[in-house]
Amino acid sequence: MASTFCHGKKGIKILIPESAYLIVANRDLREMLWAEFISVTGGVLAGVALATMTRQLMLIPGLFILIPGFLSMRGAVGGSLSSRISSGLFLGVVKPKMTDRIVVSNMAATAMLIMICSVILGVFAYYTNLFIFGESNVNMIFISAVAGLLSLVMIPINAYTTLWVFRKGHDPNNIMGPYITTLGDLFGTASFLIAIWVTT
Amino acid sequence: MKRGDGDSMKIEPRFRKVHALKRREHHPLLHKIHRKHKISYQTLFYMKEYNTRAHTITTVLSQSLKIIVAMAIVSAFGGIGLETIKEKFVLIMPLMIMLPALNDMVGDFGATVSSKFATMLYTRQVRLSRGVLRSGAFMKLVRNMLIVSVLSSVYVGILSSAVALYSGFPLDGSVAIRVVILSVATTSILIGMTFLSAVLTGVYIFSRKEDPNNFLIPITTAVADLGSMIVFSLLVLYLF
Repeated sequence: MASTFCHGKKGIKILIPESAYLIVANRDLREMLWAEFISVTGGVLAGVALATMTRQLMLIPGLFILIPGFLSMRGAVGGSLSSRISSGLFLGVVKPKMTDRIVVSNMAATAMLIMICSVILGVFAYYTNLFIFGESNVNMIFISAVAGLLSLVMIPINAYTTLWVFRKGHDPNNIMGPYITTLGDLFGTASFLIAIWVTT
Repeated sequence: MKRGDGDSMKIEPRFRKVHALKRREHHPLLHKIHRKHKISYQTLFYMKEYNTRAHTITTVLSQSLKIIVAMAIVSAFGGIGLETIKEKFVLIMPLMIMLPALNDMVGDFGATVSSKFATMLYTRQVRLSRGVLRSGAFMKLVRNMLIVSVLSSVYVGILSSAVALYSGFPLDGSVAIRVVILSVATTSILIGMTFLSAVLTGVYIFSRKEDPNNFLIPITTAVADLGSMIVFSLLVLYLF
């Protein structure tokens, strides 16, 4: 295994493995690893919540069609929001404040995107379920729309965290992706549970 | 209009012509503004796309809506695969626990690769004229993502098995090892697909003078989601 020298306290050289040196010395890698471990732990918690929904998942046909699309749509929309704000922050066009015109308008656009996409996704899941599995369940559309509406609460949290991370001197691109999907999974699964409870 | 003055983004009369430009055109006025005010082309491009509230909403909706809907539908196709194996899937608890984490992780890699690659394109760390693979920053990103993906996937496999065991699922060593193999194999296949889709799409979109942020994340996450569901479903059928 390749090794390298690292200067310890009082100038003493310490021999450490190259792979360990890469992790210790590389700030990007450290940020990504921490963010990813936290994200994955959140994902496992969402998995435990999902495992408690086994009965509903088996009873309501077609929910498995809706879940991946809904979770990834919300992650992609949130990720794009964060990425657009990050680019603006790095270019110096966006001020790291929630009242910034570009931040506010981006949040409004994201809310519209989520609602439109949730309804379209619900309709798609309904027809897919009808044509492929022969089950007609209109509740799918309502579940998707209600879950979309509930998940809007995440938008200001995403925007605020992006700005906060930037103000603290970190690169939001490294941290926000995992953060958004973790929070999104927890909120998304909870929204789904509430939406199922409300609509059935 | 000053650089970094995010709150005063009202269009001044002298910049109205720039605002009215079509995205693919480079009007001589842009070059004049760049020379006179020392504002980079990237900044001018960003400001042209997102300068007023109404314009931002229109830009985001017009650029993102179709791709997000397409991405969500593609991901839903992955859900069809899951629906067909749900009997087996629901029976093995670590798989159920692992699914959102695995889906997240692959999606995270897509989002991280996309947003970092988009920023690299804007800040010229990757120059299309020199080739993507010659960029030191890009190669560093590849190396970092490989390390993160292997460590994270092993962690997901072990954590899911441990949580399932703690919840009372009768887990033996052979199933636990297969769960970890499933996690690492799915992640490794997907990370390659994510990089390929991010680079090909990013280069294409940026060369068309459009904002890669609006396209890259939906595309890479769709590839990752659909791919992860298909690879995951196939590996579940093969390993269990």
